[in-house]
Amino acid sequence: MATSLPPAKKIFQDYSPLASAYDELLDSSSEPRKFAQPFIDAINTLGKDELALRWQQANRQVHENGLAYSGHVGVGDKTRPWELDAIPLLISSAQWKRVSAAIEQRARLLNLVLQDLYGPQTLLKNGILPPNLVFSHPGFLRAYLGQSPPSSCYLSFYAADLARSPDGNWWVVADRTEAPSGLGYALENRIVISRMLPDIFRNCQIQRLAPFFIAAQETLVNLAPAHRENPRIVLLSHGPASKNYFEDAYLARYLGYSLVEGGDLSVRNSKVMLKTLGGLLPVDVIFRRQNSGGCDPLELDVDSRYGVAGLTQAVHAGSVTLANALGSGLVESPAFMAFMPQLADAMLGQSLLMPGVATHWCGQPAGLKHVLEHLDELTIYPAFRQRGLDSELQLRLNRLSTAELAETIRRNPARFAAQERMVRSTAPVWGQGLQSAYVALRTYVTTSGESSIVMPGALARVSSTLDPLEMSIQNGERSKDTWVLADEPVENVTLLDKPGKAISIRRSGAELPSRAAENIFWLGRQLERAEAAARLLRAAASRMDGETRFSSSVELPLLLRCLADQGHVEPGYAVPDMRVPLPPIEQVLPQLAFDTDQPPCLRSVLDELFRLGSVVRDRMSLDTWRIIRSIDEGFIPNPMVATSLFELLSLIDSLITELSAFSGIVSDSMTRTQSYQFLELGRRIECSLQIIGIIKNFFVPMPEVQRPAMETILEVADSLMTYRSRYMANLQLAPVLDLLLTDETNPRSLAFQLFRLSEQVEQLPRDRIQPGYSAEQRIALSLTHSIKMMDIEMVAESHSLGEFVMLEKLIAGWEKELKQLAEAISHRYFVHAASAHQLAFISPQSIEP
Amino acid sequence: MKYKVTHTTKYAYSEAVPVCHNLLHLAPRVLAYQHCDDYRLIVHPQPAELDHREDSFGNHVSYFSIDQAHLRLTVTSSSLVNVSPRPEPNTALTPGWEEVATSLNRARSEATLSAYPFVLDSPRIIPFAGLSEYAIESFPAKRPILESAVDLTRRIHEDFKYAPRKTTVDTSIEEVFEKRHGVCQDFAHFQIGCLRSIGLAARYVSGYLRTEPPKGETRLVGADASHAWISIYCGSSGWIDLDPTNNVLVSTNHITLAWGRDYNDVCPIKGVIIGGGNHQMHVSVDVAPAK
Repeated sequence: MATSLPPAKKIFQDYSPLASAYDELLDSSSEPRKFAQPFIDAINTLGKDELALRWQQANRQVHENGLAYSGHVGVGDKTRPWELDAIPLLISSAQWKRVSAAIEQRARLLNLVLQDLYGPQTLLKNGILPPNLVFSHPGFLRAYLGQSPPSSCYLSFYAADLARSPDGNWWVVADRTEAPSGLGYALENRIVISRMLPDIFRNCQIQRLAPFFIAAQETLVNLAPAHRENPRIVLLSHGPASKNYFEDAYLARYLGYSLVEGGDLSVRNSKVMLKTLGGLLPVDVIFRRQNSGGCDPLELDVDSRYGVAGLTQAVHAGSVTLANALGSGLVESPAFMAFMPQLADAMLGQSLLMPGVATHWCGQPAGLKHVLEHLDELTIYPAFRQRGLDSELQLRLNRLSTAELAETIRRNPARFAAQERMVRSTAPVWGQGLQSAYVALRTYVTTSGESSIVMPGALARVSSTLDPLEMSIQNGERSKDTWVLADEPVENVTLLDKPGKAISIRRSGAELPSRAAENIFWLGRQLERAEAAARLLRAAASRMDGETRFSSSVELPLLLRCLADQGHVEPGYAVPDMRVPLPPIEQVLPQLAFDTDQPPCLRSVLDELFRLGSVVRDRMSLDTWRIIRSIDEGFIPNPMVATSLFELLSLIDSLITELSAFSGIVSDSMTRTQSYQFLELGRRIECSLQIIGIIKNFFVPMPEVQRPAMETILEVADSLMTYRSRYMANLQLAPVLDLLLTDETNPRSLAFQLFRLSEQVEQLPRDRIQPGYSAEQRIALSLTHSIKMMDIEMVAESHSLGEFVMLEKLIAGWEKELKQLAEAISHRYFVHAASAHQLAFISPQSIEP
Repeated sequence: MKYKVTHTTKYAYSEAVPVCHNLLHLAPRVLAYQHCDDYRLIVHPQPAELDHREDSFGNHVSYFSIDQAHLRLTVTSSSLVNVSPRPEPNTALTPGWEEVATSLNRARSEATLSAYPFVLDSPRIIPFAGLSEYAIESFPAKRPILESAVDLTRRIHEDFKYAPRKTTVDTSIEEVFEKRHGVCQDFAHFQIGCLRSIGLAARYVSGYLRTEPPKGETRLVGADASHAWISIYCGSSGWIDLDPTNNVLVSTNHITLAWGRDYNDVCPIKGVIIGGGNHQMHVSVDVAPAK
């Protein structure tokens, strides 16, 4: 090796691959393979320390971008970060040409198989495939029999899992035809690694991924019925609870499509429509990431809660195209792998360019016999794969003893298939130095009409064991970026600039689906709720320790009343006589803030904030998302010791800072689109309710000692500094109420909130032809009117004299109207979570007189 | 025989339903021995869309959707059907049942391939331990298939009690077997399960039964309602329909609507509604001889 570095710094010096496997970078005598030499030299030149440093930075980026494998659903089910490895996997250009021809052939073949099975079924008539392989398969959708998709293309997207055996040959391990996942991760891996190793990436002549994604966009555009120009394309996700949600959101954002769930779509007159704030908009192409069976509760899986009723009708009418076509998942089952050589012969008159790992289906006597005789050498799979629904079964199968396994298979042989185990190739992974780990590649093809494009790269998955791939990815093993070398220098391509294509200037982005608007609205509300709770808790906690304790006999009960009103502490703490049997508040307060079993606690508000943030991620900037993550991760108590008041205070201080950062980024960098409007609406409504809440709890009835109460309410409302700058230390009710309620120059006042609210309500999308004001306009007008007309001095004076009714009435009126406003907005703009019901299946005899 | 059939289904919702999508299997199927002179479908409120197609079993399906808020939905189908007698099968001359099972197992021909889906389990007909033991009693070695099936029909008719409202559409055939009671749908599902458990093909037939008994005969059970029976694949003798509820070979008293693997494939009205609160449903069927 031609480098003069001291040996200790040479990263590859310590790497010794396993003798039993093929190593991707080193040959059998542990010398670099020729094509990998420049890369290995470059990494060695970089040195351990530098690589470690860059890797640390890159990891932070992965973490902050939060591309996680599973969606965030509630507490205790936190996302698992996508684990990426620092060292990319290299594949030579010559090798790749063979790989790419093979998977392109396989995509073509499987498409023909689908065409036949949903069409003339000659494969069954000629005995190439046994009929129970097809008819027993839950993924065989009878509703689509004889229904060919446009240009007979079932597989706009196809993925193949590949592995390399010790002799250096590639094998297909599995096919993915339903809705191949992992593209987003492949893309994210590339972005991170190419940023981390920019020089090496450039010098090694690595083929770019962007052309593939451009081709993918073209595939989808070409699917538009009647080749409509500028078709509306949506990415249909299974929703936040699915483990692919983050990837779906990531891809939607990268490709520029609206991310939708079944509930965002509705079928009208055999057309699929997207429910947006501006009304129903027709959808031309659905980039489907959801399983076929779940797509239509009317004609497919009746139990599906996520589908679009009537979708099959729209597909029959030809008004919408799905990619992949419904029913495409049929051929990704292990059972089909057993028949691939015969299928290639029958459909293409060719043999397979890349063999599949030997697979046996137990639904036939010969297969069953072989499997039962060789159980110890085989991995058993459910024969009929149902994407995402099998992992439990797979886990159970893996845990069975040989005898139990044989018994399970014998009971229902057709349900099982077995695959020979293979010692996959290895590649170095970065940890404490380089260690070898087994790799498998997921490769992708997109097909449009007659032309197929293979992604020059792959999602490489690495694992320390040879368990089935499904298991390794769920167990949180790592992935690698895959670099396919080019023969010549590579051009730079990005998805953003397409030269020669004029773009008309627009002032708004993609239409906002109603569901997204609703989530954003609630994100706004949770933000203000979190901030108000944090300020109240801080004020209370800081009055419980040491110095201030003595002087706090007036304010503390008021603060506790506010906290109890919102459910943060037991109501007993707010009623002096009931406090005795309860443990002292200063002991329990730190725990209460984190006790997620008591739902309105601050931590659970933050959990909900984070959940909503995750769900609307595709509509936020990366920086905004980073703040949301940081809020979520910062407010966590030390698990080892009970939280002290002091620690609580310090956590709340940083939380308030983070929350302010969020507000700052929103007002500085968020474009004034519909997303912004709904966030503002949510924030202003909640903030108004919070202000009213503390005034009610502090001043109705008026406390006996008023000065500390006034000082505290100004502190909680973040207006103390403003007050002091105006009135010095002279505390009186009228100026305090003015600052909190009617002073529109104070961004913390009720008037300020109501005026902003009214501005946003004015700009909401609505039918301009409709005469007069809408319900939400009327309520907003009434609110601003009432605050403008309020005679603050008179209210304060009579209040001081013990006439509380005036202020009480005002507060009750505002409260009522704010709630009405929230309801009116929800009623007009949000998708109503009223779920779909099946009309009860009628029993033939169920006649009622 | 000529019939005029009127089938009305009414739904009432406690809250307005803004959108509904429905799939109907209400049109009589056109067959060698049955033709339909007139078929009308009346839906109220006025559907935004109404479409007709054929499903994968060759049944006539109507699809409609309503996109105006409604509290009530009424679907009425009315048809004029002419049913002619089917050729009386000679039960003793039908093929041996094992022969049919073997040909299905090797399904290649157009006929066996199209019968094959009816050999396999389906969502509402899930086998259980003891099912094939019950079935096999009627199927000794080499016995002609129809003779065996007729015997099985008789046994089910004798062993099971007709008990309206004791079972629901969700009752499993295992439960029907345990309790030995049910309605026509349960008996049909159970008999299909028996036949499939020994490798034979059987399908679920949905339809109606004539209401006015001819003079001197007793009134048949299941009148004034939808009815269900089975059809068994008899190899060279084709598909033959049997009614386990009444222990008869199906003839001119039965009007065929549609067939499928089980009730799910052919249920008269399927629908998905958004919202609606509680809903109530009322069905009335009238089968009148016509001239």
